[in-house]
Amino acid sequence: MIAPEVLNEWYPVAMASQIRAGQRRQTQLLGQPITVVLTDGAIAVQGPTGSFPVIERFGHVWTCPGTPAHDLFTVPEVDQPGRRLVDVGVVRVKCSPLRAVENFLDIAHFPFVHTDILGAEPHTEVNRYEVQIREDTDEVWATKVTFYQPQAAKSAEVGIVTEYMYRVPAPTVSVLYKTCPVVPGEWDVIGIFVQPLTEELCDVWPYMALFDDVTPMAELIAFQQMIFLQDRSILENQIPRLLPLDPGMEIPTQADLTSIAYRRWLKKRGLTYGAQMVAA
Amino acid sequence: MTTRWIATGLCHDLPNGVVMAGRWHDTELAVWRSASGKLAAWKDRCPHRGMRLSHGFVRGETLSCIYHGWVYGTDGGCKHIPAHPSLVPPKAIRAEAFSCVALDGVLWLAPADVSEAPPRLGGLRPVRSLSLTCGLAALMAAESALAGKDILRGSVTFGGHAVEICLLVQPKPDGITLHALCGASADLVAVSRWLEALRFKAEEKVAE
Ligand code: FES
Ligand SMILES: [Fe+2]
Repeated sequence: MIAPEVLNEWYPVAMASQIRAGQRRQTQLLGQPITVVLTDGAIAVQGPTGSFPVIERFGHVWTCPGTPAHDLFTVPEVDQPGRRLVDVGVVRVKCSPLRAVENFLDIAHFPFVHTDILGAEPHTEVNRYEVQIREDTDEVWATKVTFYQPQAAKSAEVGIVTEYMYRVPAPTVSVLYKTCPVVPGEWDVIGIFVQPLTEELCDVWPYMALFDDVTPMAELIAFQQMIFLQDRSILENQIPRLLPLDPGMEIPTQADLTSIAYRRWLKKRGLTYGAQMVAA
Repeated sequence: MTTRWIATGLCHDLPNGVVMAGRWHDTELAVWRSASGKLAAWKDRCPHRGMRLSHGFVRGETLSCIYHGWVYGTDGGCKHIPAHPSLVPPKAIRAEAFSCVALDGVLWLAPADVSEAPPRLGGLRPVRSLSLTCGLAALMAAESALAGKDILRGSVTFGGHAVEICLLVQPKPDGITLHALCGASADLVAVSRWLEALRFKAEEKVAE
């Protein structure tokens, strides 16, 4: 039995352009078989007992297998003129969808997992940053996150201290805003949209809306794919597979404030699909 | 009752400065040797965020987790957290240790509270390890000269010579791993070939 709190959320299930091009996508959502198809010019998602509501946003198809508890989040910045949307494609990962999001929120791994790109020893310190649950939108936010990066983006040529803001607007989604190396004062927007196939298997769609009109698209895609494949080598080797929501099983530090807030937020809202509640 | 000491590998497969994955029944472990040769075996789970420690890296007398670089000493205690370089890690942060002993060329594992010593295999030479997709029963059916349960011994004739063989059995979820030793004067290449033929025969038994 899947909790109504879980069923009433929105999840990404396909790239809209592929469905519009006539492909149908047979896939899974929360362990149920679903089909994403184009019928009479509209995208539809068919579940085992009928069709689910659909929203097309950020170039993706989103659906809700229950009764939507609220609207799908927006990212107003992505509509700014001059941004390039990068379609990175999908990556299948054998891990809990919640572990995939938590890893995206983490900066302390940069020097060890994305060595000489997003981080490098001896610049390993994580400075204090701010974390809050925003009451009005019920989202997790981390701000004033700073980190030294040898090559913060494909367009960055020298090491810089990058500033980040992280946001969790839906249980299996995270969006970050980071210092744009090309246009001072603007933020690049990068996200991951995670489709929970089962509690231990997900399809991850990296998302990028960048101010970078120089780097060829193929290079932007290759850069993000390389980063994400490095993350996958971690995600498929965490034990247990499910994300422990009860304290005691894993030991966080101050650098993990975002992860701590995310776990608390999931637990409080009953979003336990992909989570482990009792220490095994 | 489960056997206390289980062989998880041969010493020549774990040089100084290297970490490898080990297993004691259903418990997965990280087994490693420091630069000076000290041996340690821990549950294959970093206390921080659960990453497998067997994917980590050895630097000098420490093992670092590959995810956030937490540094552990050979006693299992966390010595350094790179995200907080000036913090002295609390004593409570430690990897969960198993007993690990290198004896007669074999790496043995047991729970930390083990009191007896591992079995001795004096006079034998380590040959190699090999994984089989079948169980112990199929192996025994394939070679009648072997007797025993966790340590199979027997005299096998090939190339016109009788060769003393000892196979240490390590259970795993999808079969068994064998760590093979042989008499001191045996030809290692010939024993290795015989082992591969034995694996083929044992796995065939299951297919039949
Ligand atoms: S999981 Fe090992 S250091 Fe974070
Ligand atoms: Fe990462």
